Amino acid sequence: MRSTVPLPLTLFAVLVYLFLMGPLVIVIGAALSDTSYLTFPPQGLTLRWFEKIFEMAAFRRTIVTSIQIAFLATAIALVIGIPAAYALNRFRIQLPGWLSTIFVLPVLVPEIVLGFALLRSVATSWELPIFATLLIGHTLIVLPYCVRVVSASLASFDFSVEEAAISLGSPPLKTFFTVVLPNIKAGVIAAFILAFITSINDVSVSLFLTGPGVSTLPIQILAHVEQFFDPVIASVSVLLMLLTVAVMAVVERTLGLTFLAK
Amino acid sequence: MTQALTLKNLTAHYGTTKVLDDLSLEVPAGELVSLLGASGCGKTTTLRLVAGFLEPTSGSITLGGKDLTRLPAHKRDIGLVFQSYALFPHLSVADNVGFGLKQRGVGAADRAKRVTAMLERVGLAHLADRLPGALSGGQRQRVALARALVIEPPLLMFDEPLSNLDARLRLEMRAEIRTLQRANGTTSVFVTHDQEEAFSISDRVAIMHAGQIMQYDTPEVLYQRPANEFVARFVGYDNLIPMQVAARDGARVTAAAQGAELILSQDDFGAIPDCFVLAARPEGLLVSDQGIPARLGLRTYLGRSYQYVCETPLGSLLATSPLSDVREPGSAVHLAPNPAQCCILPAA
Amino acid sequence: MRRLAGWMLSLPALALVVLALILPVGATIVATLLDTAGYGAFFGSGFRRTVLWRTLEIASITTLISLVVGFLTAFVVSRAPPRWRSVLIIAAVFPLLTGVVVRSFAWLIVLGKNGIVNNALIWLGVTDTPFSMLYTQGSVIVAMVYLFVPLMILTLVGVLEGIPDDLIQASASLGAGPAATFRQVVFPLAVPGLIVGAVLVFTGSFTSYATPQLLGGERQMVMGTLLHQRAMVAFDWDGAAVVATIMVVVTILVVLGMTRVAKRLNPMAT
Repeated sequence: MRSTVPLPLTLFAVLVYLFLMGPLVIVIGAALSDTSYLTFPPQGLTLRWFEKIFEMAAFRRTIVTSIQIAFLATAIALVIGIPAAYALNRFRIQLPGWLSTIFVLPVLVPEIVLGFALLRSVATSWELPIFATLLIGHTLIVLPYCVRVVSASLASFDFSVEEAAISLGSPPLKTFFTVVLPNIKAGVIAAFILAFITSINDVSVSLFLTGPGVSTLPIQILAHVEQFFDPVIASVSVLLMLLTVAVMAVVERTLGLTFLAK
Repeated sequence: MTQALTLKNLTAHYGTTKVLDDLSLEVPAGELVSLLGASGCGKTTTLRLVAGFLEPTSGSITLGGKDLTRLPAHKRDIGLVFQSYALFPHLSVADNVGFGLKQRGVGAADRAKRVTAMLERVGLAHLADRLPGALSGGQRQRVALARALVIEPPLLMFDEPLSNLDARLRLEMRAEIRTLQRANGTTSVFVTHDQEEAFSISDRVAIMHAGQIMQYDTPEVLYQRPANEFVARFVGYDNLIPMQVAARDGARVTAAAQGAELILSQDDFGAIPDCFVLAARPEGLLVSDQGIPARLGLRTYLGRSYQYVCETPLGSLLATSPLSDVREPGSAVHLAPNPAQCCILPAA
Repeated sequence: MRRLAGWMLSLPALALVVLALILPVGATIVATLLDTAGYGAFFGSGFRRTVLWRTLEIASITTLISLVVGFLTAFVVSRAPPRWRSVLIIAAVFPLLTGVVVRSFAWLIVLGKNGIVNNALIWLGVTDTPFSMLYTQGSVIVAMVYLFVPLMILTLVGVLEGIPDDLIQASASLGAGPAATFRQVVFPLAVPGLIVGAVLVFTGSFTSYATPQLLGGERQMVMGTLLHQRAMVAFDWDGAAVVATIMVVVTILVVLGMTRVAKRLNPMAT
């Protein structure tokens, strides 16, 4: 029995949630409209805009690129981020305080500035293919999520358990995989999901790092919207929403939805 | 200022579960009454109903003749002391205590005067500017008490206020609460699961179980003349022996159960019905040469006496022997009642 | 030995941040300081000053509206029955995970010539010809508020849930009505959360690109779109670097400033 909330306030919250959900419902409606322009309510119903996505080479290509980049960037960020998070927790006393701040920097520096700065470096001093630069940029923006979320998991891990395993004769590296990792599994999954979604949705960094032939889906969407005002983008948006639903379902299955509340 | 609290036929539900069942209770003006029971017995629900945080399904709550049943919590004018103290962490001790006065539109100067006076009464005047986070448990308890008292409410309610304190402090605060309550003569309701606490602090105690009051009396009556088996067990009558009267001879009654016979005197127990339950504390059954046959089991040294777990035809019973009469576990003895530590209950 | 192990394990991640973030961003900022003519050009141009001013304005208004809307909504969510609470939290997480482009694009449909608002106005007989509501400051702000309210809700729900019911009941028992309790107990205790939320929303909207690009276009150019335009359309990298530096400086100032405000306003600070 919680304290009651005044009715007007509850009504206000209902309106806010309608405001939050409404536009997304409208996108779904628009994606089904049998017109060559974007409209809501939909006029006629068709799935042809979904077929159209895959008929267009630019979308096919960027969807593949986006998924590749998101997977690779997340994987790399985890591979380098988990040891860093481990070190920050395990050797807290031995390491300087600024080290953990460093890993939060990519969140503090505006992404769009980061994108531009990377572009400058690539153009002036590095000689890297577009895909590699995109990958570096994405790894950088998802790294903080990996370090922070895994760190949070490790913070509640009792390291004496690890010491117990080692005292029982388990070598340190093996102990990490058999004792530490299973206990921070939830954090690693959460980090993976957050990082993947962040990368898939990124605009600001990709904006500068895409180039001829290599682009990501959000950038392709922006380019398409500038020239056409047809329901293709609405249907791409629906696909991205389905991805979000899928991700939330995975989270629900593995961690429980209360996890999202944090 | 002192007013009586009357609860009439209160029934309350959490969802579909009935948590309070047709409960009636009269707290006389100026008395301190405890609601005593295990968790889930409905004591906190009763308090929350009176405070206005819950609405009863049916029944009424009146304070000094004024019907509170449908009044919002903030208009009830009841001083509440929470188990968690619920001090506002962002306000100083003085502002916490002055919070209620501020809501009542008391001017800043008058407020400061009354807050200072109240803080002096609870001995915290020197901490007026501290935040609650900087106080010890006992100090927080005092602030919570001062905050509830300063609004001079016609009714004070305490929700397990001492359960977060260590044992020594608990005794100290218990005395302090009782002293302040007596001095102000404020009608008070005290919720606790601690029998000793309830008995020591209260004018009357309502022992609750499953949303009902099992018995409502002074501590002395509850202790010496429990009304039913539940209360008897609650106040320490560990042995409950159902018996029948086999013969009557004036005041002398011969009672039997499972082949065992006891002689009881109506001079000790008052009128004994044909069918009854003998309730005996462990000190109420003495190791002896006659009475209920028993074999002694585990012996415990209690300082002033020995206590034994005994196997008898009536089941396992707790009995006592004086220090001068040590018996060895395993010996066959008899158990005789010590009337001062026994009472007679009507058969269930 | 342990210190060495710590460094070794952090090294790869540290190298990435240093090489791909600190050096490039540092170089970009330092370049503008070596030849400060770029700042003269920026602040000498009425257009770019307008862009900076407009961006600050949009970010401030967005932050303010998001604070009010998010706070009130989060309060309702935090006091809802558990089952509803998780539904409402999921409903706030969903848009947050859906991405900026999709959510900004949604407002193109809502506000566009054939969008729901115009269709509704025509149907109601308010107008015959559809309004152009796009490419105005209002359209950018609406979409930004839409973008950031879920973030604000989630930030504040955690803070508000941390306020025990006991405190609210204690306040009521002392005679404070719902409004007084909200003002004197709930709000002061939520201040730290409000500040965190304000920083997130302000810096997020100040540096946003996709939303102002889609809903503001050239007409409502902001710092983000200006940076892109300088770098990728005009190929004026020095100019772009100045814009980037100003964005970093404003972001850092806001973060530092709000941290100080937070320290002063923190009700629990002794």
